[in-house]
Amino acid sequence: MAADQDLITDVTDVEPVEIPGRWDFAFTYFAGNAASRFFAEIRENRRVMGTRCPKCRRLLVPARSFCDACFERTTEWVPVSNEGTLETFTIITAAFPGLPEPPVVLAYVTLDGADTALVNVVTGVDCSDIDAAAARLFEQPRVRLSFVAEPQGRMTDFSFVLAD
Amino acid sequence: MTDLFIEGVALDASWRDRDRSLTDLIFDAVRAAIDDSGQPLEGIDSVVLAAHDLVDGRSLSSMVTAPAAAAYLRDEIRYGDDGAGAFAAAMTRLEAGHNRRTIVAGWGRASEHDVDAVSHGLFDPFFGRPVGLDELAVSALRAQAWIQRHGTAGRDAAWRRRRERAARNPRAVTQSGVQQSAPYPLRPEELPVWADFAVAVVMSTEPAGVKVAGMGQSSDPYHLGDRDLVGMPALVDAAGKALADAGAALSDVEVVELDALTGFDEALAVEALGLAEPGSAFGYLAEHDSVNPSGGCAAGYCAPAMGLARIVEATLQLRGTAGPVQQDAPRRALATGSSTIGSQTQTAIVLEAA
Ligand SMILES: [Zn+2]
Repeated sequence: MAADQDLITDVTDVEPVEIPGRWDFAFTYFAGNAASRFFAEIRENRRVMGTRCPKCRRLLVPARSFCDACFERTTEWVPVSNEGTLETFTIITAAFPGLPEPPVVLAYVTLDGADTALVNVVTGVDCSDIDAAAARLFEQPRVRLSFVAEPQGRMTDFSFVLAD
Repeated sequence: MTDLFIEGVALDASWRDRDRSLTDLIFDAVRAAIDDSGQPLEGIDSVVLAAHDLVDGRSLSSMVTAPAAAAYLRDEIRYGDDGAGAFAAAMTRLEAGHNRRTIVAGWGRASEHDVDAVSHGLFDPFFGRPVGLDELAVSALRAQAWIQRHGTAGRDAAWRRRRERAARNPRAVTQSGVQQSAPYPLRPEELPVWADFAVAVVMSTEPAGVKVAGMGQSSDPYHLGDRDLVGMPALVDAAGKALADAGAALSDVEVVELDALTGFDEALAVEALGLAEPGSAFGYLAEHDSVNPSGGCAAGYCAPAMGLARIVEATLQLRGTAGPVQQDAPRRALATGSSTIGSQTQTAIVLEAA
């Protein structure tokens, strides 16, 4: 039996415990046949493919196995043009581990023939003056695909560059 | 109270099917459940999902996955717990008149993540994780607590019969894709058969073949040392509430589909529910196919899809379409689903042939 003077009634006079934590879990993501074919076409043929929904008839880019709007499996595979129109953009100014040094231009581009836009990096834009770069992109310029020397079958295999 | 019915079900179990992405698995199951319901997509107004970011490896993963469950332009919520809980949440929304016809979908893909790392990561950073707790360790503690009282006689016969049922179930995955070391006193044959699951149900207020007769939910304390590991009070409470809701007694239930991580957890649940006398669960399981006729966790396991999988198996039993594991024309079934962390939360659902 503890003596009265041993009873603890105040817990505020302690050093609060902090335990460092880190969430680090390994995953293997299976892309499935549709995305695998999409990436293989980029790697082998340097072209972007879409799939057509049999119900709404939209050509969905990037290619996928089903149209989530109609909830139907897609049926046809169709290549789209390597050129398109920049619809909207942002200029990223914050650095993130593992990604290119900012500033980085990200754009929403509808490649000719596609019914949906593809988001990727725009390279080759002089961003030394952000406002001047934005003024150029505000014109919604034509862009084309530019592939890396040795494509790996990933989204990072290509970027958009201004067509003219 | 509004009567609710199950119109369509689908259960897609596989292992490391590299032809399909996670969203492909979800689409296939939900599409199959809608087709099974015979209802047009347009008549479905809502989606309730059961998924875990940590299991999916996709944060806020319903942005990626919900459209694969037909959420586009529909009322969608995600329940970050077991699929039977999502089913219960869908029930309340239908009963409230907020929705008329709902898809409930749950999934878990064990082949994409490290099941041991995720299991360990579920525990709190102060008392659980530092000492190395994981889900199998909890099951082993529970099993040993039972063995202290009752011994292990009849254990082999119970598992043999369970494996035989799983082997007959055409929807089962019977070979675990993950090799785990069994913590004492568990044995390899009692461990979960890890698999990839996408499960879907279409539920509505329109009369259909299977009626949702009752629902109950309950929860245990967090600290394992505070829990009655053998008595499973949250399961007992949830099942009692569901049976009362249905106006039925346990003796009126002809098929039970129990969610349990390991075979031992299944045996303890059988006793906790009162299906078998304390210490007699192995004998009971060796003689009865009416508890987990599907094979339970021997037919494939991955949280948080399991409670919904149990509901689908129970529905097939009541419809008489369970295939080689079909029981003799059951009229009432009890299905349960439990959360992670040693089945801390429990949901029980009573279904009836309408
Ligand atoms: Zn469409």
